This record gives sequence, C-alpha cells and structure tokens, in this order.
Amino acid sequence: MTAKDRLQETGTDSVVEIDKVAKTFGSVTAVNEVSLSIRRGEFLTLLGPSGCGKTTLLNMIAGFEAPSAGQICFDGRDVTAVPPHQRETGMVFQNYALFPHMNVFDNVAFGLRMRKLDKQAIAREVGHALDMVKLSGMAERRIRQLSGGQQQRIALARAIVFKPKVLLLDEPLSALDKNLRTQMQFELKELHEKTGLTTVFVTHDQGEALSMSDRIVVMSRGEIQQVSEPLELYSRPVNSFVASFIGEINQLPAARLRTQGGLVSFEFPGALTLATHRAAHTLPGDNESVRIFVRPEHVSVAEEAGDAANVVSATVVSHIYQGTHTVTRVESAALGRIDMRVPGGRIKEEKPAGSPIRIRFALDDAVVLREGAA
Amino acid sequence: MTKRQIWWLLIIPCVLVAAAMIASLLGVFQFSFRRFIPGSLSAGGFTLDNFYGMARPIYLLVILDTLLISFLTAVFCLILSYPVAYALVRTTKEWLRTLLVILAITPLFTGEIVRTYAWMLVLGTQGFINSALLSIGLIDTPLQFMYTRFGVVVALVHFSMPVMIILLATAIGHVNRDCEKAAANLGAPPLSVFWRVTVPLTMPGIIAGTVVIFAWTMSAFATPQLIGGGKVLMISNLVYLQGLSSFNFPLAAMLSLIAFIAAIGSLGAIQPIVARLERRVALQ
Amino acid sequence: MQAMTLQKTSFWVLVAIILAFLTLPALVVIMTSFNPTEILRFPPQGFSLRWYARAFTYSDFQNAFYSGLIVTVVASTIASVVGVAAAYIIDRYQFTGRRLLEFILVSPLIVPRFTTGFGFLLIGAQIGLAGSYPLVILTHIVLVLPFVMRSVYVSLANIDPALERAAANLGASPINVLMRITVPLLTPGIVGGWIVASILSFTEFTASLYVTNYSTQTLPVAMYTYVREYTDPTIAAISALLIVSTTVGMFVVDRFLGLKRILAIETH
Repeated sequence: MTAKDRLQETGTDSVVEIDKVAKTFGSVTAVNEVSLSIRRGEFLTLLGPSGCGKTTLLNMIAGFEAPSAGQICFDGRDVTAVPPHQRETGMVFQNYALFPHMNVFDNVAFGLRMRKLDKQAIAREVGHALDMVKLSGMAERRIRQLSGGQQQRIALARAIVFKPKVLLLDEPLSALDKNLRTQMQFELKELHEKTGLTTVFVTHDQGEALSMSDRIVVMSRGEIQQVSEPLELYSRPVNSFVASFIGEINQLPAARLRTQGGLVSFEFPGALTLATHRAAHTLPGDNESVRIFVRPEHVSVAEEAGDAANVVSATVVSHIYQGTHTVTRVESAALGRIDMRVPGGRIKEEKPAGSPIRIRFALDDAVVLREGAA
Repeated sequence: MTKRQIWWLLIIPCVLVAAAMIASLLGVFQFSFRRFIPGSLSAGGFTLDNFYGMARPIYLLVILDTLLISFLTAVFCLILSYPVAYALVRTTKEWLRTLLVILAITPLFTGEIVRTYAWMLVLGTQGFINSALLSIGLIDTPLQFMYTRFGVVVALVHFSMPVMIILLATAIGHVNRDCEKAAANLGAPPLSVFWRVTVPLTMPGIIAGTVVIFAWTMSAFATPQLIGGGKVLMISNLVYLQGLSSFNFPLAAMLSLIAFIAAIGSLGAIQPIVARLERRVALQ
Repeated sequence: MQAMTLQKTSFWVLVAIILAFLTLPALVVIMTSFNPTEILRFPPQGFSLRWYARAFTYSDFQNAFYSGLIVTVVASTIASVVGVAAAYIIDRYQFTGRRLLEFILVSPLIVPRFTTGFGFLLIGAQIGLAGSYPLVILTHIVLVLPFVMRSVYVSLANIDPALERAAANLGASPINVLMRITVPLLTPGIVGGWIVASILSFTEFTASLYVTNYSTQTLPVAMYTYVREYTDPTIAAISALLIVSTTVGMFVVDRFLGLKRILAIETH
C-alpha cells in the first residue's frame, strides 16, 4: 500500500507516513517494521522504556539515521533518502544543543538565515518566536547566562521559528526538576495550541504522555504495542505490557471467563469467583482463560458487615501516604499482592501492617485480556 | 614516615633538577651582559655592548625572517593539519583511526636530524621531486628548493604537523555533536555546519595550536641549519654561528635571550585571548 | 545524496594527499637507503645493503650509538623517578612555590632547545665539565622530564582516591600507601613516560649538539657531522632503521597502552 493509498484509507490528513520502517545496528534491531501515520496538527507522543526504539524512530524522521528498510513520506513525498538539512523538521534535543558561540538571537535566527530570509523578516520572526516562548527581550543574552528552563525555551523557539512541517522533541523535559517540568508541560501544550504545529514528543514518562498528547504510541523492544488516545490507552490497553506500563495496575492470576445471561464471572484457582455486569461482547469468549488487570482506584476497603460480592480477604502489608490518598499494599491468599488506592490518610492508623482487611473489586472497568495475548 | 616527610623526600630531586634548569638559563642571562674576550671561552665584565650589537641590520633581518618563517609555518601547518585531525576524530573505523594516529604521530619521534635529512633527499637538486619531475618531463632543469625559504617552510610545516594534529584532534573531540545535528536540522548543509558550528567551536584549539607551533618554530634549528644551508638563517642558526663557530659566547647568549623572551612573550600575550575564547565557547 | 558522497570523497582524497605529504620523506629515505650508488638517483637503479654495512661498521657511528644509549637509558630512568616524584607532590600536595616549581620543570617545552643546550654548555664550561657525560645526561633529564610528568599526571588523575583511603583505613602508613598502592597503579604512566622519554632523548639533536663533544657525541650529532662532509646514503640507512623501529614502537605502545588514550583524544 502506498502512502497515498493509506491517506485515502484513513481519511485524515497525514503529514508523515512511516511505512514498515526498520533499523538495525549490526546484530541489534532497534526498530522492527514500524508503520505509523502522523496527522496534521496533532501532538503525538512516542512512549516507552529506554531501548524501545523511540529515539531511533525520531532520528529517522529527522533524517539523522537512515532506515534499514521501509519508507518515510512527508505529505506524500518520499523523503527516506533526503538529508536532514532538507527535511523541514524542527528538532529540540535532550540537552538543547544551543550554539554556545552565538547569542540568543543568532541561535533562533539560524534556521531563518539558512533559508535566506532578509534581515527585517528575520528580526520580525525571531521577535515573534521569543514572544511565544515568553522570553522577549533576551535576544542579546549569551547562552551560558540562561537557566536550564530558559535554554529549553530558546531551543524551542529556534525549532519553531521557521514553521517546520513537524516539530520533534527528544525527551526535552527530562533534565528539568519536577516543578519546572510540570510548568513546561503546560507551556508546551499552550505553544502547540497557538502554533498548530504537528508535534512528535518522545518520553519515557507515561504521566507526561497522558497529560499532553492527542495520541500516544507505546513502544517496546523496537515494536509498536498500541496507538491510541490517552483515555483509551489507560482504560483499554491491548496487552499486558501496555497495561502495566501506563499507570499503576494490579495483575490478577489467570482465571476462567464464564458468561451466563448478562453476568460475566471470572473463576480463579481456589474456588474464588468475581463477577461483573459489563457487556460481554467486548470480552473474550466463554470458557476462555484470561488475565485481569485492575487499577488500584478500583479496589476499595469493604465494610465488615455488608455485601459480600467481589469481596476478598487479605492482610495489610504496608501503606505509602501520598497526600491526597494512600497506596495500601495487601496480600491475599487467592489473588496475591494487591495495591489499593484509599482516599485520605487515616487507613494507616485504622489498619496497621499485619491487620486483616476485606477488599472489594469493581470490575466494570477492569482490563480483560485473553491469556496468551498478553 | 608521615605524609610531610614523604614530601621532603620527594621534593629534593625535583628541586635539584629545577635548579639545574634555572642555572642554565641564568648562565645564558649573565653571559649576555658580559664582554666578549676573543680567543677565550670566559667572558669579561658587565657590558651592554651585546644588546646594542643587536641593532645591526643583519640581526634584525634574521629576527624578522624568523618571525616570518614561524608565522608561515604555523598557518600552513594549521591548514594541512585540520583535515587530518578531523578525519582522525570523526572516522567510525577504528583501524583507520589507529593508522591515522600512527602516520601522524610517528614522525615526531624519529628526531630532527632524520626528518631534516629526509627532506634534503626530497628537495635536493638530485632529490626525489626533481628526479620525478625530470623523468616525467615536466621540467628541463632541476628546480631549486634547498637553501630557499620555501624549502625551509615546507620542512618545518611537516615537522610541526604531528603536534598540531594532536592539539586540533583534542579540540575537535570536545565539540558537542548535537550542536552539529541541530544546525543540520535547522537547514545547514554539511559544509555550512562545518564553517558555522564546528570551526568556531574548535577556535580555542586552533588559536592555541597556531601559537604553540609559532613559538616552537621560532626555536627550530636542524631544519634551517641543513636546508637553509647558511642562506636562510633563523635565530637558532645565528646563535650557533656565534657560539660554536666564532665562540662569541656573550653575543650568542644575547641572541638566545632575545629568542627566549620572544617565545615566552608571544605565548603569554596569547593566553588571555585563548582564555576568553574558551569562555565564549563554554556553556557554564 | 549525490552531492554528499562527492563531498565525502573529495574530503578523503584531500586527507590522503596530506597523508602522502606526511609519509613521503620517510618513504624516500627508505628507498634511498637501498641505493647501490653513492649518487642518489630516483628511481633507484638497484638494490644494495652496502650503506647499512657502512653504517654499522663506521666507528664514529658505533661509538655514538653506544654513547647515545648510555645517555638515554640513564637520563630516562632518572627522569622517570624525578618525574613521578614531581607529578606526585605537585598534584597531591599544597605548598608555596608549587606552581613555580611546576613551571620551571615544564619550561623546557617552551624554552628553545638551543637556549637550554647553550646554557648548559656555558655552565659546563665554567665548571670544567664541558662535553662530559654527566653534563649531557643532566641536559637530557631536564629536556625529557616534562613528558614523563605529563604521562604520570594522566595516570595519577585516573586513580580512584578511594583506593588510597581504603589502604590507609586498613592500616597502611603513608609510605606504604605510596609504595604499595599509588606507585603500582601509576605503572602505565611511568612506563609510557619512560618510553617517550627514551625515544625523545635518543633522537635529540639541537641541545646535544651544544653539550656533547667528540667523545660523547650522540648518534644524531654524529649523523649531523657526517652529513656536512659526505653526501652518500649512509645516513639514509641509519635513518631508515630509526624510522622503522619508531613506527613499530608506536604500534606496540598503541596495542598495550592505547595511544589515543595517552594523547587524550576523545572520539564518539
């Protein structure tokens, strides 16, 4: 299928078409037959642990690495063989790579000078870009006079000033401390709204990905695991890797799925059965062996005398107080270690380590995967 | 034995050697201000005659010639060394890097006489270049390279390249590759990246290397002695003439002193400039 | 992409030409050393080892070779000991005059060698030691010391300070730490420095010209005298031997100590 065909098929306007792209370094396969469409104007995040191939993929889009196989197209045009300086991508490097021998203005103006704009146009665009990153008036400063956060914004300004086809961000926030990082996430989103530039963002931080992206590409060991919008990714991961990588989740032992009428039940070893009323057509078939993943916020403390449905006995192991909530770890004979998210901080005193506890599972939103597909 | 006692033990040989070095410099220094007694190796009393003697045109010409030759050598050495240093640092093949290092560095260790003699063989009227050109038929009569400034500079450039290559390679190795990638990403073709990013970032190394070679060449001896053959004189040759041919130690000492001060002076003058350049290129 | 490969090719062609320039003299020397006749001719008209024979049997060269060997071995060894001491106390201690001492010991790198050589000649003449072995050896020590120091510095900087502290913590006195921990760990730097010092001392010419006399002249000085009188390729034979042996030596040093590391060249 050519890039044009794919465009027609998806019906959306795609800026970058990555078609069965692979990259090997000697005997190491960094990227293994990846295909992806990047839509115009979207904020797309490549997410995965280190070594998953996300940075290699980014470098191939920028033209710094040539694919060992496959094709990359910009706006339908094959750019696989086009050198980096002719690709019209704007890249922000992890350590910013600002030119230390030039001041802020010359750094930001560099791309415009390469495109031979006249002096007034350059001055105008640079000023505009600096305004966008909220660093107007810093044009004369030298790079070493800037703080880390300021350097990062200048690197951004430098990459967006010539309105590239795609903005590529290689883990740009990883060098910043937590507060600054959160603030920059806001600002990056704002910038994205204002400029409307197609943006590809690489990170290993799933929280960052969830908060900023229109779509997330989860990668592992050189392959794409899932491409979805954040909400979809969180609530409906397609395999156990994605389920465990995004957010916190409890993986329950294998169970047998049974559907009877409107009731879906899971039979665990040890004669434990949990049930839910969710729609069965979204689940694997009857009598299938499945893996269930439950988010900690869907496990709660059950009252002593109350409804016994989906309630399991366990022993408290430890508490980690986190301000708004406490993560309570319990050990259950039937289901193993379970982490629960309990609002507030009182549970630490009410149920100290070692005390018995009854926990209830809400399975309506649990992730159910066919055993083997995980 | 305590740490302090170890220090006492170790410093003695150091001080002895340092004293020897100072003694030799003092020797030159004091001889330059003493009167020459013809026919004798010892010198007379204090005099500034040697210093005034420097004002003769021949000495000034030699000093100027030395400066000129040193400058030309440094510049051409830089131009020829940069590509080799760049290739050495940036090649991805280890065997090629090893080969380049050995080819570039080994001449440094074969010694002045061997290298100068080798150039005599290349530049002579019956030497390699002339024989090759004659046998091809490009020329009819041999070209004159020996006893010319050209020959001396060529040999001196060859002489200094190993050091320049090492200094440049160190500087090139420290360039942040991401800056080059950023420049390419922003639209700069490879040559542009080289001139606008790589060269400016290696500028401290370039300046330092050029100055080191300049100062080093000022003190060259064997090359101008053998290839210059008396027709091209640098300060070192003049010192030799006065010192070991005419045995006018005081005059030779004064010449040495001037050469020494010129070398130290140029290095000292450049230091603040290099320091400022290094600060410009640094990120901290 | 076409233009890029053209650029790359022309770059490597340029580098190759410059390398040819760098190696030309050595090749010419080696070619000449096998020349059958006294008059040099290119291309050489045959093959002969007569100049090698002459080089080995010429008494001046034989004597100069041994003189040079004595001077080199003694000077390098003493310079290595002093170099270790100097590098160690300058790096590890604070004392007044530390920088001054360092500057003086390293100054032979900046001071023209004809000045240093001449200065030592003057001293030698005044105390009646002109041309003697002690004077020549002392001169060589002074000249090669900076190189030993630099090599030891690099090794010194690479020693994990925790190792010496661990030894002290386990009960080793300062002298024991020095002799049992520090110095053994400095061995690569010391050996590397010794090798560099030896090569530089054996091939040193300018200063040696001043401080040696006929009986103590080193090989380069003897070669110089010969070149001024005779034009036959005997010198080419000796030079060829020196060139080949230093090249082989470089390969050996690279194999065992890593030339690039010693020269502190970063590559990535």
